[in-house]
Amino acid sequence: MKHKVFIANRGEIALRIIEACDRLGLETVLGVSAADRDSLPARRAGRALTLGSAHASESYLNINAVVQAAISSGCTALHPGYGFLSERSDVARLCADNGITFIGPLPHQLDALGDKLSARRLAESVGVPVSPGGPTASAQEALALAGRIGYPVLVKAAFGGGGRGMKLVDNAAALEQAWQLASSEAESSFGDGTVFVECFVRNAKHVEVQILGDAHGNRIHLGERECSLQYRYQKVIEEAPCAALPRETRQQLHDYALRIAAELEYVSLGTVEFLVDVDRGDTWFLEVNPRVQVEHPVTEAITGIDLVREQILVALGESLTLRQSDIRFEGHAIEARLTAQDPANGLRPSPGRLTRWRPSPVGGVRWDTHMVEGALFPPYYDALMAKVIAYGSTREDALQRLRVALARLQVEGQITNLPLLRDLLDQHAIVRNTVTTRWLEEHLGSQGVPA
Amino acid sequence: MEIDLEELACLVDLLKAAEFSEFRYEKGDLRLIVRRGALSEDSPGESPTRVATIATSTIPVAQSVAISRVQGEQPAVPNRPEVPVGAVQVTAPLLGTFYGRPKPGEAPFVKVGERVERDTVLCIVEVMKLMNSVCAGQSGVLAAVHAADGQLVEFGQVLFSIVPDPS
Repeated sequence: MKHKVFIANRGEIALRIIEACDRLGLETVLGVSAADRDSLPARRAGRALTLGSAHASESYLNINAVVQAAISSGCTALHPGYGFLSERSDVARLCADNGITFIGPLPHQLDALGDKLSARRLAESVGVPVSPGGPTASAQEALALAGRIGYPVLVKAAFGGGGRGMKLVDNAAALEQAWQLASSEAESSFGDGTVFVECFVRNAKHVEVQILGDAHGNRIHLGERECSLQYRYQKVIEEAPCAALPRETRQQLHDYALRIAAELEYVSLGTVEFLVDVDRGDTWFLEVNPRVQVEHPVTEAITGIDLVREQILVALGESLTLRQSDIRFEGHAIEARLTAQDPANGLRPSPGRLTRWRPSPVGGVRWDTHMVEGALFPPYYDALMAKVIAYGSTREDALQRLRVALARLQVEGQITNLPLLRDLLDQHAIVRNTVTTRWLEEHLGSQGVPA
Repeated sequence: MEIDLEELACLVDLLKAAEFSEFRYEKGDLRLIVRRGALSEDSPGESPTRVATIATSTIPVAQSVAISRVQGEQPAVPNRPEVPVGAVQVTAPLLGTFYGRPKPGEAPFVKVGERVERDTVLCIVEVMKLMNSVCAGQSGVLAAVHAADGQLVEFGQVLFSIVPDPS
């Protein structure tokens, strides 16, 4: 059967998926919002259909419009990209009900991973350590739990995803207050007031393992990435491999990730996230992201494997041709996320018209971007403008190439985080590879940037 | 009145070679409507050209026979049809399948030349089996219909032109 792929996303990842489909000889249809009708991905796709108005809820998150557009345009598969509908089991089910292959895990796998508590139970059941903590149904329970694991603790809604609404608490009085607030927020947002209380690690590295599975029981890992450089849980710079950790620790994480994948009989591309406590050397499971990740290119750079292509092929029922022994890691790759955010104003989003956009060709540097000079950057979606991925034989080499690429980039007409990225690449903590997840917030705080 | 079969055959022959999606012909009390790109719902993917919908009548209102369902390739960008001078456009409020009549075989909600009020329903846009009525939004006279039954319409695509009442 000749497949035709509907792409339910926008921006650089839509372009990335179109490119992978083109190389596989698959036709593409892109669903766009009214604001993205003239975007680069809309021009590159075989066909673009306007799903709804600029607001994501009317277009990219409008499940009925997305699936209707896929059916009416004769698509046989749907790629959700990242964000938007990518982790929605109801979308995967609706696709299946209409004879469309969802390019992602199976619906029950999305269910199991979407709920933080069931994901933790899953990890624990196969001997993967999870951070001390757990769900609490009352402030008293939370106080007792925090007393056992020790302050500070993180407080957040047990259901619902992402880093939103997380609160860091230093003592019992603050916990009681934060618990009540988090509980009522969770109740109103998710209809469940259960609050998760978790041990907070001050000096942690965020390390994640790329996994890939097919429907025939083959599962491999593609090494790890380090994404510790974050600002309020938003990743800024990512790299592969995680050169700061000893080989044994990394192999341990690969093993944990494969155990979780095996338990789920995981099909598709996925990322198993861990926190590594630098001071104590402990590793803890965080969550599984059941989709292609923004930072997948750094893994592609050091393995030479096209992850989106593999993801599409396994979804279409193909057997993985890669075996674990085929996976070789070579060199080092670092990705910087260029965003339309103002580093002088707490990284406030700054949409506008891009009057000048001139990336400069630099050896070993890949640009994943949907930017076009003269185009308006819409204010409705995330601020990602480009991913600049530098590859070198060593970490220092990759860093240097990335510095050159960013130094030569000409961008005008809108405020970007480019000055911040250029500054970061010269910071000792980054050059020496000692950055932990709180480092960037503290670094910006020390420079007087309003948080 | 009598239909001149020879004349009709000649017309159909001419139309075979022509590029169009809908052809309307009126002569005396004879009305002829030919739509192209029709197919049934259970054979998606194919786009046969079907000459259909010959409507004759002795009364002023033409009766449309058979719903033509158009599916398949539409332009990548929503159409920009020619609109009569002074007319306003009614666009699709959402992506879906266009139906200009309440049920197959029934008369259309409105026909070109008829008066519409603000709350007159002009069509249905179906999204995943949910029917959404589209109202005129202004009073006036329907000047043109730009979509065919069964056609996928995109958000913002022009569906109707209405010549508004002079204010």
